[in-house]
Order: sequence, then structure tokens, then C-alpha cells
Amino acid sequence: MSKIALAVAAAFAASLTVSGGALAQEKTVVIAPFGVKTGVLRLFGINSEAAIKAAVEEVNKAGGVKLADGSKAKMVASDYLDDRCNAEEGIAVVRRIVGTDALVAVGPTCSNVAEPLYGILQKKVDDAKDTGLQFPILTDVAIKVGLAKISEWSFRNVPSELTMYSSLYYWLKSTRPELKTVYGGVEEDFAHSRASWHVVMKDRANANGYQVLGESKWLLNDTNFSTQVREIKKANPDILSIAAHPFTTCGLLKEMQRQGVKPKLVVGLTSTSSLETMQACPKQAEGMIIPSSFAPVNKEAKFAAEQTAKQKGSADLHSMASWENVFIIKEAMERAGLSGRKDSASIQADRRKLRDALAATKTTKGLLGVSKRTEDREADKPYVFVHGKGGVWTVLHNPL
Amino acid sequence: MEFYFGLAQTIGIHTLLGLSAYIILLTGQMSLAQAAFYAIGAYVSGMLTVLWGWHIVPAMFAGAALGAAAAAAVGFPALRVKGLMLVIATLAFGEGVRLFFFNFDYQVQKGNIKVGPLGGEGFRQIRYFPENGWTSDEVMLFVWVFVILVMAMIWWFDRSRYGSVLRAVGDDELAAQSVGINLTAVKVSAMAIGGAVAGLAGSLYAHYTTHIEHLAFGVLQSVFAIAYPIIGGLASVFGTLAAVIFVQGFLVEGLRFLGDWRNLLFGLLIIVAMVVRPNGFLDGQMLRNFKRWFGIRSRNA
Repeated sequence: MSKIALAVAAAFAASLTVSGGALAQEKTVVIAPFGVKTGVLRLFGINSEAAIKAAVEEVNKAGGVKLADGSKAKMVASDYLDDRCNAEEGIAVVRRIVGTDALVAVGPTCSNVAEPLYGILQKKVDDAKDTGLQFPILTDVAIKVGLAKISEWSFRNVPSELTMYSSLYYWLKSTRPELKTVYGGVEEDFAHSRASWHVVMKDRANANGYQVLGESKWLLNDTNFSTQVREIKKANPDILSIAAHPFTTCGLLKEMQRQGVKPKLVVGLTSTSSLETMQACPKQAEGMIIPSSFAPVNKEAKFAAEQTAKQKGSADLHSMASWENVFIIKEAMERAGLSGRKDSASIQADRRKLRDALAATKTTKGLLGVSKRTEDREADKPYVFVHGKGGVWTVLHNPL
Repeated sequence: MEFYFGLAQTIGIHTLLGLSAYIILLTGQMSLAQAAFYAIGAYVSGMLTVLWGWHIVPAMFAGAALGAAAAAAVGFPALRVKGLMLVIATLAFGEGVRLFFFNFDYQVQKGNIKVGPLGGEGFRQIRYFPENGWTSDEVMLFVWVFVILVMAMIWWFDRSRYGSVLRAVGDDELAAQSVGINLTAVKVSAMAIGGAVAGLAGSLYAHYTTHIEHLAFGVLQSVFAIAYPIIGGLASVFGTLAAVIFVQGFLVEGLRFLGDWRNLLFGLLIIVAMVVRPNGFLDGQMLRNFKRWFGIRSRNA
């Protein structure tokens, strides 16, 4: 019994040991990806993990990362850690990463994890009174408006929904002048969806002269949408703007089909322009328009999508932001002039250099073109309007 | 060490949450409203430190006091129902509180930003610890001072007449009433103490995560609150601590390296734990063994 207890205790201690991931024989720079790989948002994490693996392979094929002394280091992505879209777990994951030799974390998936995570970081660099973590995070997926300003250690490479929906409604106003009214459908209990309707879509529709008739609400785990569809039917809008993720968007669209509700146009949430939607409800999503910061429209974008597919992931606006992040980090690392040493003081110094390099970045090269960096450490990314056509997302219009 | 200090904070906060349910379970009641009291503590203390600049300690006590008041208010009607009906009643209350915070907006301008609860988007910038220069180890010690105080209080209750009364009510309500025990006072006081402890836990949680939202206070949180003392055993307060270490330290953090397998193993290992230790990790027999091994004399000896 005591031997079993000893073995269990040893396994427990070993399981809690923070793994470094660095190899003694070659120089490495470590990035730490994390996000959700559980529940209804699981595919987001799987796709991001695949994209990061593929991008890191490409970086290393091209020779790795140049350090301050002119030598080359291999880029290593540590194991993708699952935060289960839970704030407490997200914090634990980042604290675990901080204990390793990782210089930057890439994640999280969920905005409700990003907000507390940015909160535990130091708010302003060099504020000696603030004991928040001094560790850079470059977010790929969590897209809720205006989060990076929470800390000067937080950066995001997510598209600006404000810009994209403003542009979309403006374009619709000029190309479809017969459309006058907008009605919202919102996944009310999910931070991103809720903010996307209340702060972005509704506001931008109003600003572009549409009459907003109201909104129907449901929850992320809802499976029955009959009441909401009746509300939509009663409102009889020209445009239905759905601020919800693929799972409930498809549920709603199927219920609309069942009840024979057909608005003149359906606008979807950025996160819905993904493979999941086309797998779950390709017929019902036919014609739905979504602004997206990714579409395989050029050689680089197609290549990134192919490499991600080889790692068993699919390319969408989120996973391709993960891909871009790896190259943004590589470029910033080389500009920062990292030491690449593995003692804790050097690791912390390299993290600071990397943060400063990320903060100083004015533009980055994305898959759809050049992205501008804002003062608030957000991205102003190029985008296109895609629509569902024949079971795939195809580019409808390029506004840039 | 950052990770271990953070883990110790999480274990401490969850231990308090588990202890809030422990004291109620002693009276034979099962409450699924613990997440509601936890939410009340989180929002009240967060608002006091962020909006009105209170020190964290009085803010925590205010959160605990309101948690206790809400629990006492639930406790009175709960006297009329028991068993599964009480579970449903407390579940309904818990969901009601969660939905209240889901719709609760109260923001004030502070500098160039607005702070305070913002409905479904939550309440951010509860940064008392980092803004006041508290390091992770100091926060950990702060959390554990409260854990030790609460554990000591409940341990003392357990060895006092009050503890015997709680267990007597839990074992057989009718028999307890027949010997003159005031059921109203016992049940309501247990609920109120449980509410206060959950309020304290919620206060610490809000300041640990810096951002709270209604989703963190759902029914799953209440299930965890009652699962800790049940898995740990109701023979001693230390059982709850052991269960929290098992769940948060081992299942959640220790097995994280297993990736997707962790989620499959999570439920399985809890079932295995319950099969191997049906009365909890620290049941009466185990406690007697501990006392024998460490030469501690029983009160009844």
C-alpha cells in the first residue's frame, strides 16, 4: 500500500513539474500556445494548434530565428495547453508558462479568458508599484472589442470588427439600397457575441442609416430556437444580423428554414466564417455574408491553409491569425536582438525586449496583405466579405 | 514559483467554497446556491475596492456579510422544504442571482475609463493586488490566512456543542427536535455561516482573476462546492481540503499535460475515488486511524 502511495505521490509531483521544452544541445526560442480544446469551441484550439505547428515548421525550414550574437536558434512551440475557456484555468496556464523558458504566449481562444489574463499582467511597463506579471501575450483568437488596452504586455492580432462591420453595412447601403431594416440575433451569454451585437453590429447599422428593429437573444448552449425565429418572423427585417458562433447560428438557420422565415439578407459573425458552419449547415448558410480577415485568395494564404491542413487543422480567420502570429513573433524577436540564454534573468530580459519590439511594430505582413498596428496594441487587418456559396465560403467583395 | 503560488491560491479559494457547503451538509441539507453566495461576495467586494477604493479586508467582510444575509434569507423558506425540493429551491435561487448579475450594469467613470459591472460582459479591472504591490506569495499567504481561520472555526464548531447539534440535525431531524433542538436556528445559522464563507471565497476569487462574469457562477460551480466535502468526507474539515487538492491540484492542473485525455479521465477518476472511498477520503475510520497513528486522543476516549 505504501509503495502504491509513494508511486502515486511521485506521479503527482512529476505531473506538476513545469516542463521547459528547451533542448540542451541547440539554441532554442520557445513560444507557448494555449487556448480551448474542450467543449463546443474545441475546434478553435485544434485549428490554432495546427496552424502554429505548421508555421513554426516553416520558420525553422527557413533557418530559424536570428539572435543578437548572429547565431540562429530553432523556434519551438511548447505543448498547446487547454484552458477549457475558463478564466481560472487560463490564469493557471499562463502562470505555468511564465515558469518555463517561453518568451511569449500565443492565445487564448476565449475573450472571457483574455480579459482576466490581461488583468493579471502589469498594466504599464516599468510601473514598479504594479506587481502584475511581466510577460508578453500575443492573442490570435479572442476577438471581443478593445481588450489589448488592459495591459501594455498584451497584444492582439485579431481583426477589428468595428471597422469590418462598418465597411460591410456601408457597402450594403450602396449596393443593396432596397434594404432598410436590421434585426439582431445574439448569443447573449457569450462575451464576444454579445459585444459584437451590442457594441459593433447594432451601432454600425444605425450609423449607416439602417433602422434597427430589435433583437432576439439565446444562449451558447441552446438547442431550440423556435421562439427566437418567431420573433424574427414578427419583426420581418430586411437584414438579419446574427452575432453567434457556428453551433447556434446553424441551429437558428435550420429553425428559420423549418418555419419558412427568409430575410432578404443574413449577416453573420466573423467567427462563423469557418469550416464548422459549412459542415453543419451548408444549405442554410447559403448567401450569408460575413466580413473575414482570411480567405484563400492568394498564394501565401493558400500555402498557409495547405500546411495547416497537413497538421490536421482547418484554415479560417482565427487559425490563420495564429499562423501570422508565429511570423510576427519571429520578426519581432530578430528585431529585438534576443540573447537566447536560458537563465531566468536572461529569459526575463528577452521577454521585455520582445515586448518592446512588439510594441514598436507599426505594420505586419499578413496573409491578405499588410496589417497596421494601433496605439492600443491591436491590429487593423485587411479583410474581405465572404458568403456561403455551394457549401464553401467564397469571396464576394474585397473592399480594400 | 509563480505557478505554484497561483495553484495554492486556487486551492485555497476552492477549499473555502467547499467548506461553505460542508457546514450546510452537516445539517443534512444540500444547497445548490453556493455559487450565488460566491457571486455576491465577488461582486460586492469587487465593487467596493474598484469603485469606492476600499481596502480589501473590509470589502471582503462586506461581501461575506451580504453572502450570509442572502443565505439566511434563503434558509428561512428552505425550512419548509427538504431533500430534492430544497435542491431545486436553492438551484432556482442560484440561477436567479446569476441572471441578476448577467443583467446588472453599474459603471462609473474613473480616469479615462469606465469601471464596474457591465451585465453579460462582466466586471473587469479588479486589480487590487497588483495595483497595491502585492506579490504572488503575499496573495497566497493572504488567501491561506482566511482558509486556516475558516478551517479552525469549523473544526472548533465540530468539537463544540454547536457542531454536535449540527450533526444531530443532519442525522435525524425528528430526533433532534424531540430533544429540544431549535431546527430553525440550526438550519438558518448553518446556511448563514455557509453563505458568509462562500462570500469570502467569492471576494478572493474576484481579486484573484481580476475579471468576473455571470458564467463563473453557474450551477457547475455549486456542484463543485458540494462535491468537495462529499468526495473528501464529512468526518472532518480536512477532507474538503484533501478533495480540493485532488480535484484542482491533480485532476485539473496535474493532468493538464495529458491534453484531451484529461477531460475523459476527470470524471472517471472522480468515480474511481468515490468507489474506492465511498464515504469520502477522510471518513470516520480513516480519521480514527490517523488519530491512532499520531497518538491523538479522541474526545470520547
